[in-house]
Amino acid sequence: MTGPDAATATPSLAGPAAPADPPAEGAEDSRHGLGSSLPRTDAEAKTKGVFPYAADLWAEGLLWAAVLRSPHPHARILSLDTAAAAAMPGVHAVVTHADVPGETTHGRRSTADRPVFAHDVVRFHGEPIAAVAADHPDTARLAAAAIAVEYEVLPPVTDPEKAFSADPLHPDGNLIRHIPLRHGDPDAVGDIVVEGLYRVGRQDPAPVGAEAGLAVPRQDGGVELYLASTDPHADRDTAAACLALETDRVKVVVTGVPGAMGDREDAGFGLPLGLLALRTGCPVKLVATREESFLGHAHRHPALLRYRHHADGEGRLVKVEAQLLLDAGAYADTSSDALAAAVAFAAGPYVVPNVFVEGWAVRTNNPPSGHVRGEGAMQVCSAYEGQMDKLAARLGLDPAELRMRNVMATGDPLPTGQTVTCPAPVGELLKAVRDAELPPLPSADDEEEWLLPGGLEGSGEPGAVRRGVGYALGMVHMLGAEGHDEVSTATVKVLGGSATVICAAVETGQGFTTLARQIVQEVLGVEDVTVSAADTDQPPAGPSARGRHTWVSGGAVERAAKMVRTQLLQPLAAKFGMSVELLSIADGKITSYDGVLSTTVAEALDGKELWATAQCRPHPTEPLDENGQGDAFVGLAFAAIRAVVDVDIELGTVRVVEMAVAQDVGRQLNPAQVAARIEAGVTQGVGMALMEDLRAPRGVIKRPSLTGYALPTALDAPRVRIVALLEERDVVAPFGAKAVSAIPVVVSPAAVASAVRAATGRPVGRLPIRPQAAVARPTGA
Amino acid sequence: MTTYARQTGRTVTLPASLDEAVAALEAMPAAVPVAGGTDLMAAVNSGLLRPAGLVGLGRISEIRGWQYADGNALLGAGLTHARMGRPDFAALIPALAAAARAAGPPQIRNAGTLGGNIVTAAPTGDALPVLAALEATVVLAGPEGSREVPVSHLLTGMDPLRPGELLAFVRAPLLHAPQTFLKATGRTGPGRAAASVALVLDPARRGVRIAVGAVAPMPLRPLEAEAWVAGLIDWDGARTLDPEACTAFGEYVAMSCIPDPPDPAEGELPPAVLHLRRTVAALSRRALGRALS
Ligand SMILES: Cc1cc2nc3c(=O)[nH]c(=O)nc-3n(C[C@H](O)[C@H](O)[C@H](O)COP(=O)(O)OP(=O)(O)OC[C@H]3O[C@@H](n4cnc5c(N)ncnc54)[C@H](O)[C@@H]3O)c2cc1C
Repeated sequence: MTGPDAATATPSLAGPAAPADPPAEGAEDSRHGLGSSLPRTDAEAKTKGVFPYAADLWAEGLLWAAVLRSPHPHARILSLDTAAAAAMPGVHAVVTHADVPGETTHGRRSTADRPVFAHDVVRFHGEPIAAVAADHPDTARLAAAAIAVEYEVLPPVTDPEKAFSADPLHPDGNLIRHIPLRHGDPDAVGDIVVEGLYRVGRQDPAPVGAEAGLAVPRQDGGVELYLASTDPHADRDTAAACLALETDRVKVVVTGVPGAMGDREDAGFGLPLGLLALRTGCPVKLVATREESFLGHAHRHPALLRYRHHADGEGRLVKVEAQLLLDAGAYADTSSDALAAAVAFAAGPYVVPNVFVEGWAVRTNNPPSGHVRGEGAMQVCSAYEGQMDKLAARLGLDPAELRMRNVMATGDPLPTGQTVTCPAPVGELLKAVRDAELPPLPSADDEEEWLLPGGLEGSGEPGAVRRGVGYALGMVHMLGAEGHDEVSTATVKVLGGSATVICAAVETGQGFTTLARQIVQEVLGVEDVTVSAADTDQPPAGPSARGRHTWVSGGAVERAAKMVRTQLLQPLAAKFGMSVELLSIADGKITSYDGVLSTTVAEALDGKELWATAQCRPHPTEPLDENGQGDAFVGLAFAAIRAVVDVDIELGTVRVVEMAVAQDVGRQLNPAQVAARIEAGVTQGVGMALMEDLRAPRGVIKRPSLTGYALPTALDAPRVRIVALLEERDVVAPFGAKAVSAIPVVVSPAAVASAVRAATGRPVGRLPIRPQAAVARPTGA
Repeated sequence: MTTYARQTGRTVTLPASLDEAVAALEAMPAAVPVAGGTDLMAAVNSGLLRPAGLVGLGRISEIRGWQYADGNALLGAGLTHARMGRPDFAALIPALAAAARAAGPPQIRNAGTLGGNIVTAAPTGDALPVLAALEATVVLAGPEGSREVPVSHLLTGMDPLRPGELLAFVRAPLLHAPQTFLKATGRTGPGRAAASVALVLDPARRGVRIAVGAVAPMPLRPLEAEAWVAGLIDWDGARTLDPEACTAFGEYVAMSCIPDPPDPAEGELPPAVLHLRRTVAALSRRALGRALS
């Protein structure tokens, strides 16, 4: 799959306190190609505010859509009367469940349990019931509000523990998935046993931009959907099935994605829009209000995690027992994937001979859960790392030392029975953060400069502030797991001095288009590379998630580019009687090893266009069996983070001073991007640790706004210090590179919690950490 | 037919004086005054409010500054948080300046005004506990002339803003003594108060006045705690208190603002409320300690 170069492991560990100035790999001193910090293609437009997001879409004569959403988390719909709404001046169409021509339910991962529009019952606050198209957005909203719905309010099931015994909320029942994992000897016991209960709140992906879409009817009776989709082919297939159209009559065109930490409510947008466009014969646009966004899109799974860790007197893990409960919300979505990750990584990146886990994902009337990066892995990391802190405290060991005694390495088995074959430099990562210099304590004279927890004009008092240092290690899988067909297809064309990449991998802000340019620059030596926008006329590339596109789409681009390269060089090589390997391309010039041949790419092309299409499909995986065993994952990524926090122990306010990150990246394809992704991931993780929780008492989201839902601001974002990026190439991954975005999100919340434990001596079992959990009695002074 | 035209019927007037503004409101009673728009426009954008007309107050220069009148400052309702946060203002009314500096991110403080903060009367309005501690009054301008009411009467709804009335000025005493405003929020960056306290010393009346914000719909004044602590202070001497007295004061304030349920059978307060009480106690103690140091 990869060139021979990728097989050489080249660890480069920055010195303990070395600044995060990542050394470029090999001969990458030029300003392009792999390993260079090529600026992102969309950076300038986004900075200037001219980047076209989905909300900027426009079509001549468009109508505006509004969606009627359920005000109740659980209710029976007794009657639905759209007459008054339809009769309003300016209203062109009102659609409900009865108007869906095709499949009336849809879903991800082959569980089509979610209705396009709720009809008999509503199962969450904000569930779509009807949609309206009108000539003005206000008219559309007023008309949606004029739809008369008679509800019989039902008691909502909002405690996931009660979901097991509650009446079924859905014909499919309340248990979405149960995975028992049995690994080793159930009777093993350790000298030391610690137990813990951990809870993780509901994090919202909170994309910065408005979520929006546009549907345009086609002459042939089909429809074009302009969506900020992260998985255009899946969304096309869903739309085609529900609209009763052949897939070639539905085209999804991906428009500017307003940030994607997870899935947005793409199908929920595309379906009403498509339906309204077909019904009215006009283009129809929908821009979700912030409130709708909070209600409608998928959130991180809230989790309840019970753990029992057994260790010997030296702190070596003997057995881990866990019960993991994920709150899926009303529909399955990707909950089964999240659960698989949670169960498989329940013990963390440690060697544990005996692991027994019961994992459940259950249906409730809470807001929907789905793919938010690091799903499953993040929740359990906060729990197993809490357990490691407990063990260390019990044994009187330094928390870093306790972890060091248990770290996993390449060749060790996961509790799923799968052997870790990729680089797993967990010990090195931990060592790097442990040995990094600590940030200095503020001295008495620069109190002015000391940003206390609670803010600039806050009420923090230096005498009440305690500093804490905590550690966390974590792991996450890359690519889809458990037998998902992970495949991507890309086409590379060269004409004259420029190249084009056609690939349906969506640029969500993760930097795929920049990477694709770098790959082609590297392989073909062509500077001018265009990456065309993604749509469903191209072959599928799959969803933008779990670092997939760096791997599968990047791999497909590389292969296609290499095929073009061979086509380009073969005739030259033949002409000069040498093998292709003796020719090299750089800066648009082709030269032979001995310098005899020197020509340009454009000359060699001689006016011809060369192109090639290639696929990348990593080795297949298998589902976890009835004992939670199986080779379910293609690859794993690891990180160690050391958090330093200041806590005002009277007010319970916390400020993260610094996050020192050591991450296993395989190979840095674009150092600036790698650093940016780590900073972003850590910041999202700090949000999860300290403030982000979309509260939904009795299933109703109380404050669906960015005032009610606090995100980290620039003052909350800690200093992110990348102390080491381990570049031990993953031989099965294209370029040897690992996904970088998810792992900091997985590990950061646990690291912050660990540091708050150190500062306060409190157990800190719940994320986000509430102020009352971070208050402590002053010690000594 | 289209319904698009509905949007264009909106009228905006931009009076240059208070009298003109009052007249504009009288001419169009359905119109709504707008100062910085930081509260109003959020309601408009989210579709909660569709004012038939707007009377912009931004050009009325007489309410954008302040003047002195018999030991008081007469503060224009159009003073922005940014303006009040500056050192010259902080020298006059330090607690109000501190509150203004804490009232949201810089962009909001550049636009948001004192008058808007009072009329919105949000529990988390940062200027409100300061005005309550200062026992400030507001000057209201209306078609029948102007009248003056204590800010607390306005906030409790005892004497609300009448139709057609504008908030013109705030009369606040100049106390020439230390004042503090402290706010606890859920994050380090700008955020709404979980609890706030404003504390002023009034040496002339030998008083300590404290108001607690955000824990109730309007600022709370624990009068007994104020009187108790004022009696402990040696007003003619060093004006210091030992730390235990400050701690006791903090607890006194917190217990008065967040009392136990009258009937013990109702059980303990929930942990979040107990934490809020501890927060009020810590803030009050710190506020007093800083004012006396
Ligand atoms: C992101 C953000 C953060 C914020 N953070 C804080 C914070 O931390 N603390 C805080 O206290 N506030 C905060 N606010 C709220 C707001 O900025 C303040 O309440 C501000 O003082 C409002 O003033 P304004 O001039 O913008 O009021 P406007 O929005 O113009 O008006 C608010 C209301 O008052 C009426 N009004 C205004 N002036 C007059 C007048 N002279 N006479 C009669 N009626 C009048 C208007 O009709 C309207 O009903 C925040 C707002 C935002 C958007």
